[in-house]
Amino acid sequence: MCKVTEKQVYDELRTIIDPEVGFNLVEMGLIYNVAIDDDCNVKITMTLSTRACPLHQMITQWVEDAPKRIDGVNNVEVEVVWDPEWNISMAEDNVKQALGAL
Amino acid sequence: MFSISKDFAPPLKMIEPFFRFGSIIYLISTFALLFLNSNSNLNDLNIVGWAHLFLLGFVMIVIFGAMAQLVPVVLEVGHFSVDLYYIIFPALAIGSILMVIGFWFAPAVLPYGGLLVLVAMSVFLFETLMTLKKAESNTLTVKCVKAGNIFLTIAIVIGFFMALAIGAGINVDIGRFLPIHIVLVLFGYVTITVIGLSMILLPMFGLAHGYDDSDVERAFKIVVGSIIVFSIASLFKLTYIADISLLGIGVGIIFYLKQVATLYKIRARKLLDIWYKHIYVAFISLGLSLFFGILWLFFDFENGLKVAVWLIVMGFITFVINGHLLKIIPFLVWFERFSELVGKKKVPMLHEMLPDREIEYSFWLSMSGLIIGAVGLLIGSDDIFKGGVVLLAIGAVFMVQTVFYILNFKVED
Repeated sequence: MCKVTEKQVYDELRTIIDPEVGFNLVEMGLIYNVAIDDDCNVKITMTLSTRACPLHQMITQWVEDAPKRIDGVNNVEVEVVWDPEWNISMAEDNVKQALGAL
Repeated sequence: MFSISKDFAPPLKMIEPFFRFGSIIYLISTFALLFLNSNSNLNDLNIVGWAHLFLLGFVMIVIFGAMAQLVPVVLEVGHFSVDLYYIIFPALAIGSILMVIGFWFAPAVLPYGGLLVLVAMSVFLFETLMTLKKAESNTLTVKCVKAGNIFLTIAIVIGFFMALAIGAGINVDIGRFLPIHIVLVLFGYVTITVIGLSMILLPMFGLAHGYDDSDVERAFKIVVGSIIVFSIASLFKLTYIADISLLGIGVGIIFYLKQVATLYKIRARKLLDIWYKHIYVAFISLGLSLFFGILWLFFDFENGLKVAVWLIVMGFITFVINGHLLKIIPFLVWFERFSELVGKKKVPMLHEMLPDREIEYSFWLSMSGLIIGAVGLLIGSDDIFKGGVVLLAIGAVFMVQTVFYILNFKVED
């Protein structure tokens, strides 16, 4: 039975900051789902704020690396999806406020 | 979905000369305006020389440098051969300087400068077209890059023959080809490239999603069609049809502005940062230049043409470029120097790499200079025009300082 929790994974993902907007991926609402199976394999479903993001490959690499810093995590799989398309309503209130969208 | 990686991103040392040189030429060209008489005819060789200094040495060089980074992003493929940019920069930089010397001091030098510019642009076009061949998507941006490059090819061939006419005395009807050359460069390449890239960059930086892009599609078709009609009509000296097609370009631009307004309305990022300020000035200038262009076209108002050209060159093009330099250069520097450090140590955010005071000085001085210069041209006062130019030139000093500050940005260990 895997002892790694979703909260631990989300906490690691919160360390990844988008350098353009200055917020982490979780508070931006870019992480759609975190699933952990019994063998401690982690699957992260995420999106990006734009399809033309020039950091696409680097960000997905950072997301893949982040959970590996937690003891016990086995494999990490990252899936980038475009449906549903990201919009500002998915972000946390502090992001909306800072961007002037609240 | 392709995205930029270290394999496809151009190395900073390849791209930074484009930005350093471009910003210095921007500064020189604003100071050079002080030595031009605003009451001169637009065909005056001093004005033509200045136009080549500004458009080749600043606009084209910065666009080409930016394209090295943006092409993989917007086309979703890697470059055919990014190393070709090592040839493009020196050829274009030296060619531009020789052409300006040719126009201002020694016409015999003009064909040599023209040849170097032709080589630089041919290499750029070859690289871009070979990269386009790999692109699978056919988005509006891809179509804009294709159309822009075709127009640029025709424009530089025409330009080269005109340079031969001035410098080597070959028989070319400059009066017939000059308007085609100007329209192909200003609208066929620069404006269409800006339209294409802005449909990626405006939603990206403004965080705008879920919009209808039919206005910009319509704008693209109208502008491209009008440029083709204008070129053919000018070739056969069909003045009436050429004038109508100029109006067509204006109508296309109105649709483009409508699209920009839609993106502005639905943007999630409403904070008024320095990029937004530049974009405001750029698009307001574009709208006003349309207004003055129409005044010239319908009422033969010569000063209206000068104001329209001033607003499109020093307002729209300059502010779009300078605004985006404040996004593109920090990104390139960050990507090269800090991206590998993410997760290992604290890295700066992109906005933290900007010198806040200098960019504010640059913006406000440049905008004041733009407005005062336009007023001077409108009422035919060279003194007021020069007053505006002084402010613009001081603003350019701060812009150069900003570009060099970002390119030299490092964090102490």
